[in-house]
Amino acid sequence: MEAERVLKAAGAIQVVKKRDRKVEAAIRPDRIRTVASKLCSHGARFIIIAAADSGLDIDLIYHFDLDGLVVAVKTRVPKESPEIDSIKDIVPGAEWAEREASDLCGVRFRGGTNEPLVLPKEGALETPPLTRAFRVLPAEVAPVAESIASVGATAPLTSLMERRRQEAGLEAKAPMVYATEKGTKELTELIKQASFTERGGFDPERKKLRGVYK
Amino acid sequence: MKEYAVYWGCMIPHRLPSIEIAARYVLEKLGVRVREVENYTCCPDPIIGRFIDRKTALTLSARNLALAEELGPELLVLCNGCFETLIEAVEALHDENTRTEINQILEKVGRKYQGAIQVRHVVEVLHDDVGLNRIKEVVQKPSRVKLAVHYGCHLFREPNGGDIWRKPKQFEELLRVIGGNPVLCDHNRLCCGFPTSHVDPEYSLRMNLLPKMRCYKQLKIEAVVTVCPACTIQMETGQRMLRKFGLETSVPIVHLMELMALAFGMRPQELSLKVHRSPVEDFARRVFG
Repeated sequence: MEAERVLKAAGAIQVVKKRDRKVEAAIRPDRIRTVASKLCSHGARFIIIAAADSGLDIDLIYHFDLDGLVVAVKTRVPKESPEIDSIKDIVPGAEWAEREASDLCGVRFRGGTNEPLVLPKEGALETPPLTRAFRVLPAEVAPVAESIASVGATAPLTSLMERRRQEAGLEAKAPMVYATEKGTKELTELIKQASFTERGGFDPERKKLRGVYK
Repeated sequence: MKEYAVYWGCMIPHRLPSIEIAARYVLEKLGVRVREVENYTCCPDPIIGRFIDRKTALTLSARNLALAEELGPELLVLCNGCFETLIEAVEALHDENTRTEINQILEKVGRKYQGAIQVRHVVEVLHDDVGLNRIKEVVQKPSRVKLAVHYGCHLFREPNGGDIWRKPKQFEELLRVIGGNPVLCDHNRLCCGFPTSHVDPEYSLRMNLLPKMRCYKQLKIEAVVTVCPACTIQMETGQRMLRKFGLETSVPIVHLMELMALAFGMRPQELSLKVHRSPVEDFARRVFG
């Protein structure tokens, strides 16, 4: 199919045919200009951008019409830095949709107008009205949750307690998952496989939960 | 005597290893054979686990249960929190669909939970499997001191709709058989405040620990006995902070395993009691010499 070929050629991660007249594609945010250009060069007509708060991120779904087929191009920007390139120079009609997403969900379109469209210019709201609080876990419990997800214990073993254990004739470290490199890797993989990285917003590299700290 | 897989959890080895030392001594004295679960994670904590994400928490629990299953059919735990988390996980994983879903995750790291393990609290193992008579035989130094019993909320968790007072009563019987004198306090069942301390430390002190410690002071309690490291930590660190509410107390908070080890003849200096933040070491030297 033409749309699938175009989308894949433009770097779509996944293309799924939802029904007879609809195709959905997932792309990285940095591919939006390429995808929009390719679709438009094949005669696609821009319809709308739907922006939605998915908890940790803002989902942006760009809708195009290609010969009667709805092409929904989905991408996602993190709430920490909700930015994406504007496509208004490729599709002038996208400007209003970008301004609406900017107003309601706080997305900043690089190279875009970013002027209020549906909200008044004066007395801007502190947070965009269609976004929820970022936090998925209360900040107070975050350190314990982060410790469980990164070392497998409610709190890491302190060097003082390691010494106390040795003085008492115990192994310096408890026989827990963090005691070996293999165990730590297994824990990291398990946290990823259980989708705690996606649903809970745990960043295994920083060993922190997203959105808890400023 | 049966053999058990033993799960130390994370609070005991990381914060109160004296409980681990005591438990090893007590179990050996009573002829209870144990095989240690290794490479485990936090159970995870029953309160934080609920905040985290059900699937993630259940995956970690199932992994711990799978590790224990490799060692034997019964898993011995020494912490009320671990007990609650793991029996709830066992119950949730009885459901075939849930077990399949969690096993699909575990398979990615080469593990599988079969669903064939029984989680046992140390209180019930000592009471039911070892027996009070056997314990009585081993006691060398009955404590004969006025003790308050702090059961801990999660000790009341009972699988399959059983009697929630079964283990708390067993806990009291164990204290009596080692020579302790547990006294009735109006606030014995009141939570220590550990779970709420995560989000509102002041509330947990005022609403939970303050009435408990006032009661202990009035009754001239010599030590409070727990079966949970989290309760121990909360009561030890919390009572220092009660000064701002006008209450000065310094009551030793001791775990049942430590009290049993001392009653069985272990010397206080062998227990590494300095890890405590309440005067447990002084109490042990005074009572057990």
